[in-house]
Amino acid sequence: MALQETIPWIEKYRPRSLSQIINQEAIINSLKTILSTHAVPHMLFTGPPGVGKTATAHAFACDLYGERYLEDGHFLEINASDERGIDVIREKVKGFARTIPIGGIGFKILLLDEADQLTSDAQHAFRRVMEQFSTTCRFILAANYANRIIEPIQSRCAVFRFKPIELEQMKKAVARIASNEDLEVTARAIEALYEVTEGDLRRCINLLQTASTYSKRIDENLVYQVAGLAWGGEVRRLLELAAAGKIEDVRKHLRTILYVNGASERDLITQIYRDLFYLSLPEKKKLELISLLGEVDFRVSQGANPELQLMMFLTNLYSASQVGK
Amino acid sequence: MSLPWTEKYRPRRVSEVIGNEEAKKQFEEWMRSWEKGHPSSKAALLAGPPGTGKTSLVLAYAAEHGYDVVEVNASDERSSEKLKAIVGESARQTTLAGTRKRIILLDEVDGIAGKEAAGGIATLTSIIKSSRTPIVMVANDPWSPRLAPLRENALMIKFNKLRQREIVAHLKKILTAEKIELDEELIDEIAKRSEGDMRSAINDTQIIVSTQDRSLSLLNTRDRQKTSFEILAEIFGSTSAASGRASVQGADMDVRDIMTWVCDNILNQLRSPQAIADAFKLLADADLHYARVERLQRWELLRYVAPLLGAGPGVVKHMYGEKGMRFEFPSTIRFMMQTRGQRTLIHSALAKVAAKSKMSRVKAASEMTPFLAEMLRRGEGWVAAYYGLTDEEVAAIKELGGRVPSVAAPAAKAVRPGRRATRPRPTRGVRRPP
Repeated sequence: MALQETIPWIEKYRPRSLSQIINQEAIINSLKTILSTHAVPHMLFTGPPGVGKTATAHAFACDLYGERYLEDGHFLEINASDERGIDVIREKVKGFARTIPIGGIGFKILLLDEADQLTSDAQHAFRRVMEQFSTTCRFILAANYANRIIEPIQSRCAVFRFKPIELEQMKKAVARIASNEDLEVTARAIEALYEVTEGDLRRCINLLQTASTYSKRIDENLVYQVAGLAWGGEVRRLLELAAAGKIEDVRKHLRTILYVNGASERDLITQIYRDLFYLSLPEKKKLELISLLGEVDFRVSQGANPELQLMMFLTNLYSASQVGK
Repeated sequence: MSLPWTEKYRPRRVSEVIGNEEAKKQFEEWMRSWEKGHPSSKAALLAGPPGTGKTSLVLAYAAEHGYDVVEVNASDERSSEKLKAIVGESARQTTLAGTRKRIILLDEVDGIAGKEAAGGIATLTSIIKSSRTPIVMVANDPWSPRLAPLRENALMIKFNKLRQREIVAHLKKILTAEKIELDEELIDEIAKRSEGDMRSAINDTQIIVSTQDRSLSLLNTRDRQKTSFEILAEIFGSTSAASGRASVQGADMDVRDIMTWVCDNILNQLRSPQAIADAFKLLADADLHYARVERLQRWELLRYVAPLLGAGPGVVKHMYGEKGMRFEFPSTIRFMMQTRGQRTLIHSALAKVAAKSKMSRVKAASEMTPFLAEMLRRGEGWVAAYYGLTDEEVAAIKELGGRVPSVAAPAAKAVRPGRRATRPRPTRGVRRPP
């Protein structure tokens, strides 16, 4: 067997250039125009997870500065949700934007990923940072929701709305990987992939690679099986346990998700929101639970205790699922 | 016995005060605002259980920054006149050696309530307003309703019980300084018995080392206020808003701790789904109000916490005629202890994955590790190499999702419509390739 180093497929198939980005033709066309003129505005990329926001920012930089865009210091990525506080971000930006590299084109690019994780106070502070450094630095902000980005920032940016990946596009992407990796992916499996990932290409590729460790032939059963192990599956099981009234297990599982796995309570609440629609409950109950989840979401953002608030929600889900039994 | 150790080893600098870092920071900031001439508040109210360093913090700060501390016993009858005289004067006192700045320290302000009732508090409130000297008040029970007017005019700084390990570490330090050896287990036991009270722990240690056999037999447990279990029994037994409120207000226990105890006991007190849901709703409301108090410093909202927390569970239990079982020690504490090692490893692994995959740690937790865990379980060794994970980290990641209990098939409801017939229940490790 040839010695070949395996790497995560999401890295292996990461687009290196704008022309490799799929599903976002309109955006890619305008970015290419921008590239040809070098008149780069501040930009805000919005859209659901796994549709190529971060990848597009990197590809754009690569096309603009060349392969060594990172090593030569033209481009810096900061993750808003990991950096503690706006001061840390400001210091990083300051250090990065202070100099202009030789052989550059007069400015650098800074990507602020997951920008909607910043509080609105932090965003106002960041707006000033943007203005302060706008002569030497262009900013790309990536966020899931445009409405979580304050108006003044939106108005300073060219806003690009990334579309959810279409089924046909995901089929193509999967086919490409399948032929490269010597996999057989059935048509039903691709539809299942699309369904469970909701058009999230990163999750789709991760799922595919995990499934490939079971079999070179991937059918829809295998897709569902692996999806059950993934984050969405874990959260669904939480709801299933609650509906079944296994409250002690619910509590243990909830604590594992919140404290051991390291996921954010925001992501957990978002995933619960998505799955709520598929619960088999009277629609009226479902709507009440959706409203209750909204309350939990708001309370947690106000500093309430996520475990307690979510236990409240899940026990109410249990109680609601008892009706008519 | 020579000098009591509690005096001999009283901290001389703020940094030597054990624990309660947040409170220390708040206090120093407040004193700094006085030094700049624009006090953020005329008075500070240090509230917390005995032996948590409230007075020590004030004395240490004073020693470090050259203040004289004028101690006034608030429950003393003549104290208000004395107080008026002191606060009316200049904030600096001229001595032969020069001028010294001053802090007024009022001990036991919750004691005033009992003796002089509203009048005493009112006088004190007006005195505070006109003071040109920082006034520090110390109280054990921040929830005392009579202290409400004081809370409005003072910066509330909360002290929590000290952690057992903080007490153990400090006792060891003292014993080393005294060149005395004491059994490790005995130190642990002293710290445990102290229930977060450093003063009593130090006193007990000093008594024990002075005896022949150095055992605990000499010590009686101090006459404490109610235990956590007694408080729980009151709360789950309460049948009215008023009695529930009284239970919480009379409890010598941090509100957050009471919430944890109640939360973790609902399931062994209540059986019916509706009762459980109702109890959690009221408790979650209490949590929300308390979050507003903590986060937004809206102290006026504090009064909504006690009745909801204290009466909610009991009223629901009574309403549904629930019997309840034995109260238990909060399972969350055990859970956090059991998972500490794994949590640390997952945290460091997430940092590596996040850096390599260009995403935040929380995103790596939901988007990457579930897949990486499964690939590692499937024996994909490259994962560890690519992300630079240690063997321990790999083992911890492999365990992720492994704790998830499975649901009995018929009870499960969360299946997407139209997929029910074809979609198999995902079960880990059942399917194996040929």
